[in-house]
Amino acid sequence: MATGEPYFRHSLKVNDYLCQGCTTCMRSCPTEAIRIRNGKAIISDNKCVDCGECMQVCPHKAIYIKQDDFGRLFNYRYRVCLVPTTFIGQFEEKYNTKAIYSCIQKLGFTHIYEVEHEMSRMIQLYNMYMDDHPEITTFISPYCPAVTRLIQVRFPSLVDNVIHVRAPLELASRVITKRLMDEGASRPSIGVFYVTPCAAKIAAVKYPVSGKETYVSGVINMDFLYNKVLLMLHDSDKNAQPINHALTSRDVLWSLSGGEAPHFKGAHYAVDGLKNVLDFLEKLEDDAVDAPGLVEMRMCDQGCVGGVLSINNRFVARKRLEYRARLFERLERSKLREPVPDDKTLTQEMIDVMTIPEIKPRSIFKLNDNFAEAFRMAERMKKIEKALPGVNCSACGAPSCAALAEDIVRGDAGIDTCIFINRHSRASEDAIRSIWGDRVKTKEINKDNKENNGNDSQGNH
Amino acid sequence: MHYTFNIERGNFTDAGQASSSVKRTLKQLGVDPANIKRTVVALFEAEINAVAHAYGGTIDVDIDGEKIVMVVADQGPGIPNLDLAMQEGWSTASAKVREMGYGAGMGLPNIKKNSDELKIDTEVGVGTTVTMTVYLT
Ligand SMILES: Nc1ncnc2c1ncn2[C@@H]1O[C@H](COP(=O)(O)OP(=O)(O)OP(=O)(O)O)[C@@H](O)[C@H]1O
Ligand code: SF4
Ligand code: SF4
Ligand SMILES: [Mg+2]
Repeated sequence: MATGEPYFRHSLKVNDYLCQGCTTCMRSCPTEAIRIRNGKAIISDNKCVDCGECMQVCPHKAIYIKQDDFGRLFNYRYRVCLVPTTFIGQFEEKYNTKAIYSCIQKLGFTHIYEVEHEMSRMIQLYNMYMDDHPEITTFISPYCPAVTRLIQVRFPSLVDNVIHVRAPLELASRVITKRLMDEGASRPSIGVFYVTPCAAKIAAVKYPVSGKETYVSGVINMDFLYNKVLLMLHDSDKNAQPINHALTSRDVLWSLSGGEAPHFKGAHYAVDGLKNVLDFLEKLEDDAVDAPGLVEMRMCDQGCVGGVLSINNRFVARKRLEYRARLFERLERSKLREPVPDDKTLTQEMIDVMTIPEIKPRSIFKLNDNFAEAFRMAERMKKIEKALPGVNCSACGAPSCAALAEDIVRGDAGIDTCIFINRHSRASEDAIRSIWGDRVKTKEINKDNKENNGNDSQGNH
Repeated sequence: MHYTFNIERGNFTDAGQASSSVKRTLKQLGVDPANIKRTVVALFEAEINAVAHAYGGTIDVDIDGEKIVMVVADQGPGIPNLDLAMQEGWSTASAKVREMGYGAGMGLPNIKKNSDELKIDTEVGVGTTVTMTVYLT
């Protein structure tokens, strides 16, 4: 199989010490990126889209998200914390945002900037792409990086439906960096740290689809910051420092499923959750759904409040944000609160920073670049699949019999890894047969596939 | 490569299995997305017709090095006037079928548009066989 540079790199890692090889993650991965080798889960770089599903389901907490060393913060003179509202949604309504932000400042940050301040500019950027592409009917929001990557690998025909604009945090970091520079700070003295709800955003910052430079210096996992801030809040320090910008009620809801689409003309679909996203994309690809306009898609149920690094229940966090939005709205109406309005001016330089020239399709299905060879492999795969028992037991280290068949034709596994086919004794044959009956096939397939019995135990990724 | 599927009468919710399975195979072969879409759309429409207007039937799919041939055969009532049926907007769909969101009279015209070759053999009281070919390369 093709080697060389992986297309994608990831922040999701498996802790070999905790991993029991239980196959739970492997069976839930939407891109079949996981295999068990030597008793541990391994993740294929090229297939993984950082959706976080494996981490959510792991019963042993063996999958984790590597984060930057917090101490790196102090390498910078100006230390900006880039917060998404999802973070605020983690806290009970009784804590006001000022109190939360003052805790963040006490941890060592000199500035706080809310990502959602860029909503107005993002809307303009989306609209520009949509206006530039009248030939496309349905546009997909680029908000969730896991969705973009899923489209690259599983729905390559839809890459151009994704609005070719980078994530809002890229614009936010660029805006705040520029502002500090205008105030006299030098670029190397500014460190911008994004508080992330998920692995996908980290991957988007560190290994961007756009290949463009980022203004984000590091990433902080949301659960890590939450624990620190909560401790300080309990110390109930009331000397909250006022901060000089506040979001509008609209901005507060942006990260939630349904918080984006209503601000655009056309289809107000807000699709959230892995299963729904897959289903919708499948239909979109077949032209089986009529959705002219913008479709918002979030890999996580309820949007980013459902992200793997979110601490509290997604519905609770959602309610809290909605509560804050309503409260802000009331206060705004009675002039008790004055949000700093989003700056709407979009400069050419911002447009250059934010647009992506191309989102490359990276099909994980394609068996070979050469049609004739792909055809031979597909034929063989079908034959092997027929010979396999179809019980998807995963004892071979693949998520399903179909996946094993694919691994075999790709040369990443041997047919002998199937315990149904490779039965060693009469007793084991009888035992398996007593459970699975007729599904137990004869050993004939062994001969058929001898020539391709690779025993590559690590696979290739 | 050969695939066979069964079509169950009146089962709209499960229709589409043949087209998704074909889609997956075509993706494995690295077929151009535009051709995949044409294939899937044509097959799905023919399948739905067998579900909606006939008593179910079978789908036979053959893929070779250059083309995909899909044969959707039913033992339904047949189509009395094929020229009429091929017209956009012509439909005899029942109220129940319309409730399911079909019956715009666009299926056959869509099949024609999306396939490179189309052959329809139909006999009243015997059944209908729709043969669609899409060139893949
Ligand atoms: N397999 C079939 N058996 C019997 N009659 C058929 C069959 N396929 C099509 N027809 C007849 O041809 C008509 C036109 O078919 P067509 O697929 O174009 O439209 P439709 O199925 O009525 O609506 P739509 O496909 O837009 O949902 C049908 O209403 C039906 O009378
Ligand atoms: S993050 Fe998602 S795509 Fe990546 S290995 Fe885990 S489940 Fe699979
Ligand atoms: S919905 Fe939000 S939290 Fe979940 S993967 Fe997408 S960007 Fe990350
Ligand atoms: Mg029809």
